[in-house]
Formats: sequence, structure tokens, C-alpha cells
Amino acid sequence: MKNTVRSCGILLLAVAGVGTMSGLSPVWAQDATFVLNSRENGAPSYNPIKSTKVNLGIKLIFDRLVDQDADQSFHGLLATSWESTADGMSWTFKLRPGVKFHDGEPFNAKVIEWWIPKFKGTENAFMADAIDRVVVVDDLTVRFVMKNPDPSLLLNLASSFMGIPSPKAYDALGDKFGVTGAVGSGPFRMESFTIGQQTKLVRNDDYKWASALSKNRGAAKIGRLTLREIGEDSTAFLELKTGGVDMLMGVSSDFQPRIREEKSLKLVVLPGTEVFYMPINTSVAPFTDIKVREAVALAVNQKEIMSGLFGNTGAVANNFLISSLPESKIDPKFNISYNPDLARKLLDEAGWVPAAGGVRAKAGVPLTVKLWTQNGTQFKRVTEVIQAQLKTVGVNAIITIQDPASINAMYRKGIDHQLAVRSYDYTNADILDWFFSGKRLGYPNVSMWNDPKAEILNEKAMKGSRTWEERVTNFKAYHEYVQSQWVYAPIYQPTQAFAFNQTRLSVPDTVRGTRMTVQSIMDVEVK
Amino acid sequence: MFGFLVKRLLLLLPVFLAVSVVIFLIVHLVPGDPVDHLIQIGSTPEQKAALIAKIGLDKPLLVQYGAWFMKVVTGDFGDAIVLRRPVADLIAENLPHSLWLGGLAFVFSTIVGVATGALAAVYKDSWIDRGVMILILLGSTVPSFWLGLLLILVFAVHLGWFPVSGARNWTALVLPVMTIGLQGVALVSRVTRAAMLDIARKDFVLLLHAKGVSRREIQLRHVLRHALLPVVTILSLRVGWIVGGAVTIEFVFARPGLGSLLITALNQRDYPVVQGCLLMLAMAVMLGTLLGDMVQAAMDPRIRENMQ
Repeated sequence: MKNTVRSCGILLLAVAGVGTMSGLSPVWAQDATFVLNSRENGAPSYNPIKSTKVNLGIKLIFDRLVDQDADQSFHGLLATSWESTADGMSWTFKLRPGVKFHDGEPFNAKVIEWWIPKFKGTENAFMADAIDRVVVVDDLTVRFVMKNPDPSLLLNLASSFMGIPSPKAYDALGDKFGVTGAVGSGPFRMESFTIGQQTKLVRNDDYKWASALSKNRGAAKIGRLTLREIGEDSTAFLELKTGGVDMLMGVSSDFQPRIREEKSLKLVVLPGTEVFYMPINTSVAPFTDIKVREAVALAVNQKEIMSGLFGNTGAVANNFLISSLPESKIDPKFNISYNPDLARKLLDEAGWVPAAGGVRAKAGVPLTVKLWTQNGTQFKRVTEVIQAQLKTVGVNAIITIQDPASINAMYRKGIDHQLAVRSYDYTNADILDWFFSGKRLGYPNVSMWNDPKAEILNEKAMKGSRTWEERVTNFKAYHEYVQSQWVYAPIYQPTQAFAFNQTRLSVPDTVRGTRMTVQSIMDVEVK
Repeated sequence: MFGFLVKRLLLLLPVFLAVSVVIFLIVHLVPGDPVDHLIQIGSTPEQKAALIAKIGLDKPLLVQYGAWFMKVVTGDFGDAIVLRRPVADLIAENLPHSLWLGGLAFVFSTIVGVATGALAAVYKDSWIDRGVMILILLGSTVPSFWLGLLLILVFAVHLGWFPVSGARNWTALVLPVMTIGLQGVALVSRVTRAAMLDIARKDFVLLLHAKGVSRREIQLRHVLRHALLPVVTILSLRVGWIVGGAVTIEFVFARPGLGSLLITALNQRDYPVVQGCLLMLAMAVMLGTLLGDMVQAAMDPRIRENMQ
């Protein structure tokens, strides 16, 4: 009897233990699990106003005033229409009626009046920096009175950092907003968030104000969505293959052929928003000589890298901006393309002549330079190929690989690096300001380029444009000048790819927005 | 025994102090800082400097260390800079996952290691022995990262018995436990086998054979029992690694835990979190070693005599 009671006790404990470990979560027919792009892993918070690193979830929880499509056009989301004055000093937005936050609070002009000043003093202040004040015209109309014209205002308003939180929840949660709770008006509510692991979202059944970029303007078709963070690419791929997850939001080029081989999986390749490039430190010898800079830039064989390392997917980069941006359409004479013969000629002219071992030398000093990159398979491979390409024109490059945080700190010193292989992922021409402004020497201006003419062109592009067209023209001029000074070498524009299990999900054929995000997720169905 | 325990605990204090200094210095001397993850890439150096001052990272290292250490001794690990939460909360959320994983791996390696080691000793030079030796060789040399992926391929992808990753239910624990545990199996098995073969050559075992005691009884009741002392010594030394051994495995299997937290914090140079995690791991090893010493003392009268 005693033994029987003990056995029953153990059995009950075991059942309770298993139950606890499994979480006894209910099974939902419309459950889906997506693996975030590894670039987004480790986002510490879902606070759009204060976070500097966010993931896909932020666009699912928070709505913005406007949405941006892949062709850079803007579409209303919480704003139904907008207009600006000819001088760009005033913008008026009509707001969507009937919108409620997840906590039941109404969305109206008062919310915007509360929201914009919240950016002041935060790291995202630049998003609303040009807005002097918000005037409430009526319950559903607001006017932004500008400090200066800002043609990129709509672009900023479409950004993840300009998701609009519920004022009541934001003020109540304080610093914990985005961590223990996040309340927006988006198609999903945050159920739980474990930093570095996963975010669980639940459909907002009241949602009926999706932008025109989604076919489904009502509640999302996915009931519960789990966003997982998996750092190891192999693990993420195997999860997709075995049905453990339904979609990978990012697929590296290594795994794309393997996904294509699987009948149950579908790979979708979209135009990229990333550019690989090689900054040249213009402040240290031998790259203080523009001819040497030009020579190393011309020694980079972009086509070979694209075909040899990336299976001819994506596009070669001949200038600094992604091809979909109008500011990338510069005068072709400024584009940078592989030309090894001219590279050799320029090195000869600069006094670096062929010497023993195939490495050029000047006054007995060999042309040996430092070539840095961050860890990661793609960076390592691209850097190794560039090392080999530089060798063909007589430049001996010594590779150093560091983790991103370390290498950025090392760039800041400004004098230790010479060449580097880097990439950025961004869809606005003001990346030129970030990476080449004299105000940001070392990092992110790894080229250490501080040129008076460039600063004038930069200022004009950043702050001297009243309209979008003017901004494009000004940025083109700045871009062309950057190109003419050989401060970097363009390398490659990767595609962006996502993959999903087509036996589980139905995904729209055309992906709207700049990438696979909320606009298309609204139309994703669980089969 | 009590005096010995007190003496060892007091000895841990300078070790703890030294460990805290080393951890703090390593974390702060590595290039990079958490502010890079708080500011937008386009921020000016002035904006960055202001943030550094606000967080207190502009103060001399000694001052920063002193402030941190004084908090730690009161049980306050401070607040995460990038992750924006109390470090103690983050550790409390993640530690149970690591303890589950490491604890089960410990149990697995003990049971399987003793069993295979004993079998190899009893059937020395047979195919069983050779099989166990191969297991020991593989377990000792194969990197756990690679072993984890291999187990995923076999048991999750091809056989479909277990999930690839995550912590959704108890089945997700099986492969990471095996991955960590197999290395422990190799060690325990090797020590068990060697100890049993050593004991088997002792005079009292020959006497038992001469008295006609069955081979099975000699091996199980006498040889294995006496051989367990070095095994327990090894196991006790591994107790501290219950938490620390899972760092890379948590990453491969995308599991929550102290290791995953450490990697996330390390990538963002979130100093207080990295320091807190490393200190927890170091304390686990220190306390595990102490526990090992106590277990040995409890099992071996000679050690107790030495203490006295």
C-alpha cells in the first residue's frame, strides 16, 4: 500500500513536471512561427521611441502614420492624407477615424501632440528633429510646423522608430515600456517577450485599418505569431526543413540552394537593401594619395565576387547606394568598375613599381596594407577574394577579422586601419551623410574623409532641400563627388531572401513594402 | 568537518574577489562598448560622449569596479545598459533553464558513464570494451558545437524524434542534454574503467576469487564500489560545470539560459549583464568544487583524518 501511494505520488510529480516544462499551451489552428533575420537578434525592447535596435515585431505591434512601398512611394496608414506647403515649412495630416490602441484608448490628434515631443533627448530624436511643434487642428487633423524643410519627413514617419504607442500605457509603464509590455494599435498585440529568445504575438481582432499595401485590410489571418531568434543559421534552416518553424525572415546565400531543393519549401528573393563596400582610410599612407585609392578601388572585380561567391544572384555595386534609390542614378562616368590595367598604371604613376614577389614597392618599402573585416562567413569570403584581387595588381593585403563591436571601436581610433570590407543595410540616401560626413570620423566614417567641398554638398543635401525632387538632385551631386574622390570601393548588392513552408503557409505572390514585413504578413494565411 | 567547511568558505572570499577583478577587467578591456548599441549610427561624437557620461563609463576603471563590486556584495548586480532591465531579473529568468539542462546532462553522463565504464572493465579487450573506448575517444575529441548539429541531423531531421531547437517542451531537452552529456560520459566512463581495472588487481579481489565468490558479485559489489571514489571525485568537480558547460549548446539549440544571455549581452557589450553572468558561472564552479571536496571527505575517512 505504502509503495502504491509512493508510486502514484511519483507519477503525479512526473506528470506535473512534464506539464510544467511543456507549458501546457493551448494549440491554435492559426499558429505560425517565424524566425527573425539574424541581424535583428538581440533587440532589447519594443519601445519605438527609445530603442535603437528593433525587430520585425515592432511593425506588427505599432502602426505608423504612413507606409512605404518598394518603389519608395508612400501610402496612408494612420494618416489618410497629407499635404505640405510649397516652402516645406508646414505639413498637415488627416488622421484615420475609429482607430483604437490595444488597451482601448482612442487614437486622435491629441496622441500625435503627445507623441512627437517624446522624441526629444532620445537617441531617435533625429527622426522628429525638423518638427518644431505639433498643432492640433481638430480631433483628426494635425499640423507639423517645421524648424526647417525636411523632404525625408515621410520616410521618417514610415520608419519602425515612428510606430505610435498608446500614451496611457507608455506613461504608465515608463522605462519598462517595450520590455514588460508594449501597447500600440497594430495588427498584433504583444503577449510575451523574452530578450534574445522569442516574442509571442496575438492577433488584434479589432484591427481594420491596414494600409493599401495589404489586400487584407482587416484583422490578420494568423491568430498567434511567434517570432523566434535563432543565432545559428544551420539550426534555423533545419527547423524550417523539419516543420519546427514556418518562415525564415532571412536566408543567407549558403542555404538558398538547399532550400530550393526542398519541395515543401519556397524561397522568395527580393531586391536587396544592402551594399557591400570597401572603405579606404584616406588619412593614412599610402591612401593619402588619390591615385593609390583609385587603383585599389579599380582592382576590385565586382562581377567575379558576385558570380564566384554569390552564384550570380544580386547585383554588382558600382556606387554607394542601392539601385532602387533615385540618388543612385548618377552620371555613369562616376560609377566605379573593375579595371586592373588602369589600376596598375595608376600605381606606377604613384611611384609604386613592381618588385620581388609580385608586391609593388616604393623606395624599397613594399605595398603591404591592412585589410580588416568583421566575423561572419560572407565577410570573410569577400575579404579573401579581395585580398587575392589586390594581389593581382601588386598590393599585399593582410587580413584581420574581429567581432563587430570590437572592430567598430578599432575604427574609431582612425589611424590603425587602411582598408576594410563592410556592409550597410539601409534604404535612404542620407546613408552618405552617415558614412562620409566629417562629423563622424573613424566610425561610421571609416574612410576618415573630411573634405570641405564634400561638407558643403552634404549640408545642402541634408538641410538645404525643400522638396523631395530637390533632395534627390542635391544628394546626386554629393554622391557624385564622393565617387570622384575614391574614398571607398563598391563591391556587391546582395538580394534579400526569405523562405517559408508552403505546405503550412500561403504567402502573397507579390511582396509589398521594402521587405517582407507587416504589409505582406497581413495577407499570409495558415493552411 | 564543520571547521573544514568554514575554512574553505573563508578561502573562497579572496578567490571571489580575484575572480571579480579579472572578470571586470576582461569585460572592460575588450574593444567596443555598450553605447554603440544605444546610439543611432548617425549620432555625433558629442552625443556619444554625453551618453557615456550619463552611464558613468567615463569614470576611472577603479571607480567603476568599486561601485559595481559594492553593489554585488549586497546582492545587486545593477541594471543592464542595453537590455534595460535589472541584471538579477535577467539571470533569474535564464538560470533555471541552464540548471535544468546542465543538471540532466550531469545525471545522464553519470549513469551512462558509470555503466559503460563498468561494462568495459568487466569485458576488457572484448568488442564491448573497444566500443566504449571509441565512445570515449569521440566524446573527448568531438567539439560539442559540431556534435550538437550532428545529433540534430540524425535524431531531429532524419528520424524526426525530437525538435531541432527551442524550449517548447521536455522533448526539446533531449538532444542538448545528450550533446553536453556525451562529453561527460566519455570522462566518467574512462575513469570508471581505469579505476575498476586497478581495483581488480588488488589482493582482496584475488582472495574473493579464491573463496569462490561469483564474478558478477565481485565486480558489482566489491570492485565497482571501491572504484567509485575517483568517479565521485571527478563528478564533484564537474558539478560546477552544470551551468557553465551549456553556453555554446544553448546557442546551437537556440535555448534560453545563462549561456544565451551571455552571448546576447557580449555581442552588445552590455557590461553589467556580462559581468553578472560570468560571476554566476565562476561562483557555480567555486561552489561545485567545494561541494566536491565535501563529498570526497564524506566518502573517504583518510581525507577526513587529514582535515582534522
